Amino acid sequence: MSAKANSYQRFPLARRIEHLAMLLSFTTLALTGLPQKFPTASLSVAFVNLIGGIESLRVIHHTAAIVMMLGTVWHLIVFGYMSYVRRTRLSMLPSLQDARDGIQALLYNLGFAKTFPQMGRYTFEEKMEYWAFVWGTAVMVVTGFMMWNPLTTVKLLPGEFIPAAKAAHGGEAVLAVLAIIIWHMYGVHIKSSNKSMFTGKMSEQDMLHEHPLELADIKAGIAERPVEPVALRKRQQVYLPIAAVITIVMLGGLYGFVNAEKTALTTTERQIPTIVVYVPQTSTPAPTQTPTSLPTASPTPLPTEPGTDSTPSAVTSSLTWDNAIGAIFQTQCSACHGSNATAGLNLTTYADAMQGGKSGAVILPGDGATSLLVIVQQSGGHLGQLTPEELAQVIEWINADALEK
Amino acid sequence: MNKWIKRHARPFGLVCVSLGVFLLLILVTLPANSVSAAPLAEEQNLTDEDCLVCHQKEGMTTDIGGQPVPLTINQEKFSASVHGEEKVACVDCHTNITDFPHPEVTASSPRDFSLEMYPTCQQCHTEQYQKVFDSVHQTARAAGNMNAAVCTDCHNPHTQTRLTNKDTGELLFEAKQAIPQTCAKCHSTIYDTYKESVHGSALVEEGNQDVPTCIDCHGVHNIGDPTTNTFRNSTPYLCANCHTDATIMDKYGISTNVLNTYVSDFHGTTVKMFEENFPDQPTNKPVCTDCHGIHGITKVDDPNAGIAFKKNLLIKCQQCHPDATTETFTDAWLSHYQPSPQVFPLVYYVNLFYKIFIPAVIGGMIFYILTDIYRRFIVPRLRGKGASHK
Repeated sequence: MSAKANSYQRFPLARRIEHLAMLLSFTTLALTGLPQKFPTASLSVAFVNLIGGIESLRVIHHTAAIVMMLGTVWHLIVFGYMSYVRRTRLSMLPSLQDARDGIQALLYNLGFAKTFPQMGRYTFEEKMEYWAFVWGTAVMVVTGFMMWNPLTTVKLLPGEFIPAAKAAHGGEAVLAVLAIIIWHMYGVHIKSSNKSMFTGKMSEQDMLHEHPLELADIKAGIAERPVEPVALRKRQQVYLPIAAVITIVMLGGLYGFVNAEKTALTTTERQIPTIVVYVPQTSTPAPTQTPTSLPTASPTPLPTEPGTDSTPSAVTSSLTWDNAIGAIFQTQCSACHGSNATAGLNLTTYADAMQGGKSGAVILPGDGATSLLVIVQQSGGHLGQLTPEELAQVIEWINADALEK
Repeated sequence: MNKWIKRHARPFGLVCVSLGVFLLLILVTLPANSVSAAPLAEEQNLTDEDCLVCHQKEGMTTDIGGQPVPLTINQEKFSASVHGEEKVACVDCHTNITDFPHPEVTASSPRDFSLEMYPTCQQCHTEQYQKVFDSVHQTARAAGNMNAAVCTDCHNPHTQTRLTNKDTGELLFEAKQAIPQTCAKCHSTIYDTYKESVHGSALVEEGNQDVPTCIDCHGVHNIGDPTTNTFRNSTPYLCANCHTDATIMDKYGISTNVLNTYVSDFHGTTVKMFEENFPDQPTNKPVCTDCHGIHGITKVDDPNAGIAFKKNLLIKCQQCHPDATTETFTDAWLSHYQPSPQVFPLVYYVNLFYKIFIPAVIGGMIFYILTDIYRRFIVPRLRGKGASHK
């Protein structure tokens, strides 16, 4: 007799599984979608880190979307079966009465109406949520398709629809998540703890509070329309093949949705620009200076052909130590072969010069070609390198007996 | 020695005479030896003047491994150089030279000689020298590429003028303007591309001080490898260094929203989040340079290559979306625009719709719930209290 003892079946197992699939896929979609809408938020970054990166996040998001779309296909097939085969009352359809119920409930809450509206199998709150979910799913599937398959989309629509789809997808997501958190949580968990979607049953007391008209129908035995077995079988024979075809078409559509194009998600291998990096402007990194004074030297071939001047004492010259050669040695050689007499050679005075250095005499009067000074200078690269003109003068001077005055 | 005497000079007198002569010889030769040894042992403090006696001569060269190496120092240029200004002496760097003749050059080529010489720079430029250890040039040289640049390839120590303001450390503009040419010594084709780019032409032709040179993107001394994933993934932030700076961009009427709009669009969101997790992993999503170019960045309104034109942009799209064949596809990307009633109006109005729709729906829900809470939980409590007072 007690109202608590009696309970009524509200949702069969299949509906409860369907709800669970929606619950899980919706939560997954929200958790993996919102970080993509707010990529700069630190919480988003932390969550993406946890998942293992944006690419993993996307795979999960897409998988959950497929689950939700499969659930939607199932829901449509079941709807067809219940409405056509079982001829169940379409108790979820919204009606004017729902608007009236809503207004009355609001007025009651505010103290302007004396009674709370009495409602049937689905209250106006539940219908609102259901149809919001239908609307939201439709928006998400359409906009999701556009983002998933932008190339296919632009064959039919302007390109701008794709960023618009992204905007709508994100806006709708925020709306859906907030609606679930605020409306659904309050309606079934806070207002009163309604576990019927998990247990499948609702107590008579709860039925009396929330669905009094349905309870009355159940008690009167008119909640479910009687189904004649013969008619039922007949309608099943009509519906099931049609349902099979519709299912195949819808699953085919879903397959196409997922696989229509590849390059938006897994694009081709990134083309790395090939840049030739090392193209030096000169053949050697350190540019060499071509010696400038050598080619412009006087055409006298003296320094390179010592043999032509090798005849001793046969040559006369006006050059002397005092009038030319001493000065040449002073400017060119004295830094080393001056007072510090590098290698024992001091070219400061005529006497010192003629004395030579550690290797002996460097000036052999009358024999320029074999004089050590000339040999060293002609081989080049000496630190105190005489110019060709200077060297020619020195050779001429030595060949003419290397006179002091 | 005694044995030698015993064996060869038996008569005692002869031994004495020999010994005397021997000692005399030693006495005579000793001073001579010590004199000739003196220049070798003596540390000579060479001054720049000493070196320039020879090294200022025009056309002075030496030969290393069959290749001529110039030995002439242009005294004017050296005096004008930062080393000249700071009175750095020849032997401060050429530490092995104390005398003439100089120690024999053991390098097998002029390049080899440079490679032997450049560590001398670390005496003063320790920080820069050590930074180079992390550079792509060092890596290349470690891998056996001896052409990879060392200090002296970029900074000729005999002519390098001051690069930074002595007090503030800021790069001088003359120095900045010379940077691309310095890098061009080895990277000439990249320079040829750069100098035609929007950045390079502004620097080279207009003397623009705002545009980046090589080092603004690649760094200096510790120049990283620009072909790594890490470098590529960080490109948006690299470009954003200047392109989000209104003090620079306002002069040219360029938007500073380029990073925001990139990150909020498909590609940028992915790259941004990918970079947070896997900075060194490859991503096939585009970064700035994939559409705008690297060294040859053009103005977006350049009629030939500017990607403000859909036909040019489509070519960029096709790099990753080869199936994209219609120019309308390019509108799938907002081109850094903030949607407005004029530009991408559909996106603007969708956003506007949700900006109104979400608060309206959620606000309505909250309002109804508040009234429900009031009626369901607060009113009974108030009534209960009233009852208890009775």
